[in-house]
Amino acid sequence: MNVVNLELYKLRHKHLFLMVALFLLVEIGWAFMASSMSVSRNPDNGGWEPLIAMLSSMNGLFLPILSAICVSRICDMEHKGNTWKLLLTASVRRGKLYAAKYISASIIMLWACMLQVLAIIAFGIINGIGQSVPLFLLIRFLIGTALTNMIIIALQQWVSMAVKNQAFALSLGMVGGFLGLVADLLPSGVRRIFVWSYYTGLCPITQSYISEKMQFIVRDISSLLPVAAMLIVAGIVIYLAGSIHVSRQEV
Amino acid sequence: MLRHCISAEWMKLRHSYIWIILMILPVISVLIGSANFYMNQGVLTKEWYSLWSQVGLFYGEFFFPVLIAICCAYMWRLEHHNKNWNMIMTAPVSTNSIFLSKLIVVGILMIFVQIIFFILYFLGGKLAGITGGLPGELLGWLLRGWIAALTIGALQLALSMRIRSFAAPIGIGLCAVFIGLGMYVIHLGLFFPHSLLTTGMGVLSQTSLSSGENLLFIIMNLLYIVVISTGAIYRMRKSDVVA
Repeated sequence: MNVVNLELYKLRHKHLFLMVALFLLVEIGWAFMASSMSVSRNPDNGGWEPLIAMLSSMNGLFLPILSAICVSRICDMEHKGNTWKLLLTASVRRGKLYAAKYISASIIMLWACMLQVLAIIAFGIINGIGQSVPLFLLIRFLIGTALTNMIIIALQQWVSMAVKNQAFALSLGMVGGFLGLVADLLPSGVRRIFVWSYYTGLCPITQSYISEKMQFIVRDISSLLPVAAMLIVAGIVIYLAGSIHVSRQEV
Repeated sequence: MLRHCISAEWMKLRHSYIWIILMILPVISVLIGSANFYMNQGVLTKEWYSLWSQVGLFYGEFFFPVLIAICCAYMWRLEHHNKNWNMIMTAPVSTNSIFLSKLIVVGILMIFVQIIFFILYFLGGKLAGITGGLPGELLGWLLRGWIAALTIGALQLALSMRIRSFAAPIGIGLCAVFIGLGMYVIHLGLFFPHSLLTTGMGVLSQTSLSSGENLLFIIMNLLYIVVISTGAIYRMRKSDVVA
């Protein structure tokens, strides 16, 4: 815990939470504008479900890039300040350091997910959506998004730590964002390979065209559990591979 | 002096493997765009124009601006390391040359990216079985895309010079992409660097610009480049560096 606190302490002047909030402001603003336009065109689309579905598809583009930026900043400060040797002489195991950085990145991204949920609630109430706030759906949305974030953070952290040149980590984030955006167009077999597709893959709402009309269907929780379990396993594998690889690298 | 600075910038780029990134992003956008075109040929009937709308959309709208941002952040990365700011500011070269050499090198790299993109677009079209001739506007799209890339490059260089973090200017650049998209939608595409790229490359609308619009496009780009570069150079000259 002490190590995580120290990581967050090192970040105190980097305004990461503020940066995430500002970045999300653009995304949320964009998503809500699109949502309002779609409601004005088709009043049947008013409701909580389209709002959640819209934001989760936007997340496919934004959150991989935001994760890449956050993780890169957390890891790059050590590369930039040449502080790896210093840290390791403080008799901290590298695995522990890796975990601390992972946890602090996850906390920052969890903040992003919580902001989104709050924004959805605020937008829904202000726009006078008739139904009551679907807390259970929002919690499922929060868990799905946070889980996908954590897998992507594991991947980004591996690249950001193993390769000093952060251009590669950010390019991976960009490619991830692109794949997250087009994920729904890919065949389901191909889509499942890419971790970035799970923002929509784990979203409690799915969209489908029935007789040329967009329908929003609430997914059954039991259908998502195996997918989430598989994703967690993949995340653990990526995390361990990254941690072991980075621990064995020469400083 | 400028020539020496440019060759120094080239030397700094050696062993950076930045060319891998410059290649990967266009390849991915053309691959997915071409695949989408190939699968939807029933709807996308305007051959090269339809293919451009598919491959150009993601490339011109998202990948290219971010690619420029990554490239610019990389150009300043070395300066923010190992107290190199002190070294570069005490070198017997003017601040103009330092900034302009970086802008010129980014410009050269962007020519390289545009050429690769053109080759991939051509190959993608041929593989998808397009038989007609290439559109006449193609050279204009690529050239205007490059000019707008220089404008975005100047902006990103100024940001990356000022902000020590590698990733933060790229995040700002991405937000600017969306602001640019908004500006384009409300028909102010010729007044914001990122929407200049959208307009210039014809990614959302393939109708060619009128000569008046072309002139305004070039004037706006020049204006942005001059204003941003002057501001950045002035700042470099006047404010103290933090090594």
